[in-house]
Amino acid sequence: MPSTTLTNSPLFGWLLGYEAKRKLLLNKAPAGALRDFLSVPMPCMATPIDKVAILAVDFETTGLNAKQDKLLSVGFITLKQQQMSLKSSYHQIIKTKAQLEESNVIIHHITDSQKEQGQALATVVEALLKALAGKVMLVHFSRIEKQFLTEACHHLYGMAPIFPMIDTLALAKRRLDKRDVAYDPSELRLANLRHKMQLPEHHGHNALNDAIATAELFMAQMSKANKDGKITLKDVLL
Amino acid sequence: MDTELSEISTFIHSIPPFDSLPKQVLAHLVRELTINYVRKDDYLPPKGINEPRLYILRKGAISCRSADGELVSRLGEGDLCDAFYHTETNAQSNSQTATTSQLQVHTDEDCLIYSVEATVLQDIGGRFPSISDYFSQNSAQRLKNKMTQVNEEAILSSTLMNTAVSNFYQSPVASISTNQTIQQAAMQMNEQGYSCLVVVEDDNPVGIVTDKDIRRRCVATGLATSAAISEIMTRDMCTIDAKSNAYDALMMMTAKHIHHLPVTKNDELVGMVTVTDLINNEGHNAINLSSIIHKANTLTELKEISQLLPKLQIRLAKLGSSADHVGKSISAITMAFTKRLIEMAEYKYGQAPVPYAWLAAGSQARQEQLAHSDQDNAIIICNSMKPYDDAWFESLATFVCDGLAECGFIYCPGDIMATNPKWRKPQKIWQNYFTDWVETPCPKALLNSCVFFDLETIYGDVALLNKVRKQLLIKTQNSTLFIAHLTKNALNLRPPLGFFRDFVLKQNGKHRATLDLKHNGIAPVVDLARIYALSEGISAVNTIERIQQAAGTPSLTRGSAENLIDAFEFLGMLRVEHQAKELMRGETADNYLSPKEISKLEREHLKDAFKVIKSLQDARQSSY
Repeated sequence: MPSTTLTNSPLFGWLLGYEAKRKLLLNKAPAGALRDFLSVPMPCMATPIDKVAILAVDFETTGLNAKQDKLLSVGFITLKQQQMSLKSSYHQIIKTKAQLEESNVIIHHITDSQKEQGQALATVVEALLKALAGKVMLVHFSRIEKQFLTEACHHLYGMAPIFPMIDTLALAKRRLDKRDVAYDPSELRLANLRHKMQLPEHHGHNALNDAIATAELFMAQMSKANKDGKITLKDVLL
Repeated sequence: MDTELSEISTFIHSIPPFDSLPKQVLAHLVRELTINYVRKDDYLPPKGINEPRLYILRKGAISCRSADGELVSRLGEGDLCDAFYHTETNAQSNSQTATTSQLQVHTDEDCLIYSVEATVLQDIGGRFPSISDYFSQNSAQRLKNKMTQVNEEAILSSTLMNTAVSNFYQSPVASISTNQTIQQAAMQMNEQGYSCLVVVEDDNPVGIVTDKDIRRRCVATGLATSAAISEIMTRDMCTIDAKSNAYDALMMMTAKHIHHLPVTKNDELVGMVTVTDLINNEGHNAINLSSIIHKANTLTELKEISQLLPKLQIRLAKLGSSADHVGKSISAITMAFTKRLIEMAEYKYGQAPVPYAWLAAGSQARQEQLAHSDQDNAIIICNSMKPYDDAWFESLATFVCDGLAECGFIYCPGDIMATNPKWRKPQKIWQNYFTDWVETPCPKALLNSCVFFDLETIYGDVALLNKVRKQLLIKTQNSTLFIAHLTKNALNLRPPLGFFRDFVLKQNGKHRATLDLKHNGIAPVVDLARIYALSEGISAVNTIERIQQAAGTPSLTRGSAENLIDAFEFLGMLRVEHQAKELMRGETADNYLSPKEISKLEREHLKDAFKVIKSLQDARQSSY
């Protein structure tokens, strides 16, 4: 996983702690959405996971490279106390200049004309940062969300924030690695992990649907791992 | 953005009553949903939710228990839980339906649960009554609405069932006095254009005469036309009450093979209904089948005709007939087969040495038979019989039972047949049997003999059985011990409330879970009706008639009676439809219903029906 800058590296986070780093960044941040986001304290690492406010997020993009490819849409929903209200959910397509590549159009069902109805990247990222303040981001396969949001913030605000993440793929991988038995990497796909947890069939590739699906998977994972309720935010953080 | 939340929308849209909502309203409803993940062995509502909500189970299993810990229902994927939908308990709810507020809802597995605030549904319900109706009713009411709908379909396809005889009969009845001559009768028929006259003596009807009687009993035999009409009239005249439905009249005529039926009101003759009057209104061919049976001369011919029976059942089911209608049609035809076989036996072995009656027991007696069920029969013989007379009755029994078996009515596995000497006895022995059963009700003997509490005369002297029945009913009404034993036996069969859940659990296994509609659904109602009848001295044998007559007695409230009939009709309908499907595939009809066969809505209704049955079983249990 290529890390971009020192301040974003896991080592840095481990040395300083998220909270300390947040305060550091807050001083540098320009006024506006980013500063507002950074001004809200992060959840304490010792909080039992069931009590942590979480924002399940999913991005649809034109590709895997945050430098070249574009964000197409963003979906998120708040998860707290094993509960999500669809009223709190958000889904927005982003208006970008990049021509949609045909292969991606098929995957995401977003056509150029739909994209024209989208909103500006700044508006969508602002909405995301506002919702994310004080919460932990939950994703499946963190690379995409981490890099694309970092890249977008660089582009919009000239600097990237720090945001703690939980990754359902990493959690599943951790469990599988512990077993010391070879497994097919496809087992780690969202749909396959859900199937194993006996969650309803899921056909992905709508950012909000995927965010909800990820949150459901996380709750199922926690149900298995956290029977005694002792798991804290620190235990599951990426 | 039509793919947004599409999976949740599709799921919600598949569940009644939400399947009736237009897309936009559905989208609004979905936006209002909350998703909860509730771990195994926890309780609903989820922590932090206090307001009334409807819960929709997306994945997992929950069980609802009453305050005293008894299982009320188990819910699985796609089931609705309205235990926390109503804030206050309904003060009007009757004691037989559990008040929902006391329910304990427990998660048996990890559950993914959608929920929506009651106020949101009430808003939607304001514009879409199907939603408000659904949630304002308890299970009994929902079932009632369903049955009203079914009846409407039945009315469209068959008007007779729901029309009283009073709509069909001709009035006044043409009558003639006993002392008038055959010629006068023939002249009157010509003048008035009737083919049938009722013969009266001092204003009391004593018999009936048809133009066919004049032909067969007078002209053909060379009897003088100046002879009194009483010479050729049929004395034991069947009548039907004006309140009966026209379908019953048709069935009575089919079974007895007659074409005219005098109609009475408060035991007074008011009119006459003919087959032609009725058949013009009815498309099916039960009558035809019955008349072909009557004309058959050999067993081979009867056997051929019997192969039409499954076809008739399919046809009736397709017409949207109720189970009551199908049961009565098939029973009438079985009766016609039996009668024809008895006539053949009498022709073969000569007339019976003493009067007797051929009895049908069980489902045929109750007129709830379906194509090719097993035969249950017996013979009651006049007390004047001598020991050596039994040889004749044995021959009769063997001939008829073998004949019925040839025609597809399999031998009774419990040997409840006239061929068994135990069930071929004079009237006084039958009386002793019943006295023993009632006075010393050993539970096991009762279980075997229960079938004899549903008896009907098919052929022969009706008075033989009637006398025994009358005495039996006097005894049963006063024997609480007997009724208690009967109740205990009956309650062994319980509707399987956890059935749907079990099915969901087993869906990936080898064992395909099915529901035995007969033993788990229909039999418990039949048993309850029998208990009501025996405790209230009701002579009717048909389950619906028993429940109707028991309604308003100490045994059964009117409201409960209606609910029970709805439940019985619904279960019967499921059985008829299930069997029709099997018969159309050329399979043997059975009673094992797979939940996959029925729609989600029917599953809801089935659950409602089980709840109604269970509540009445509980009521019965607590009264002893």
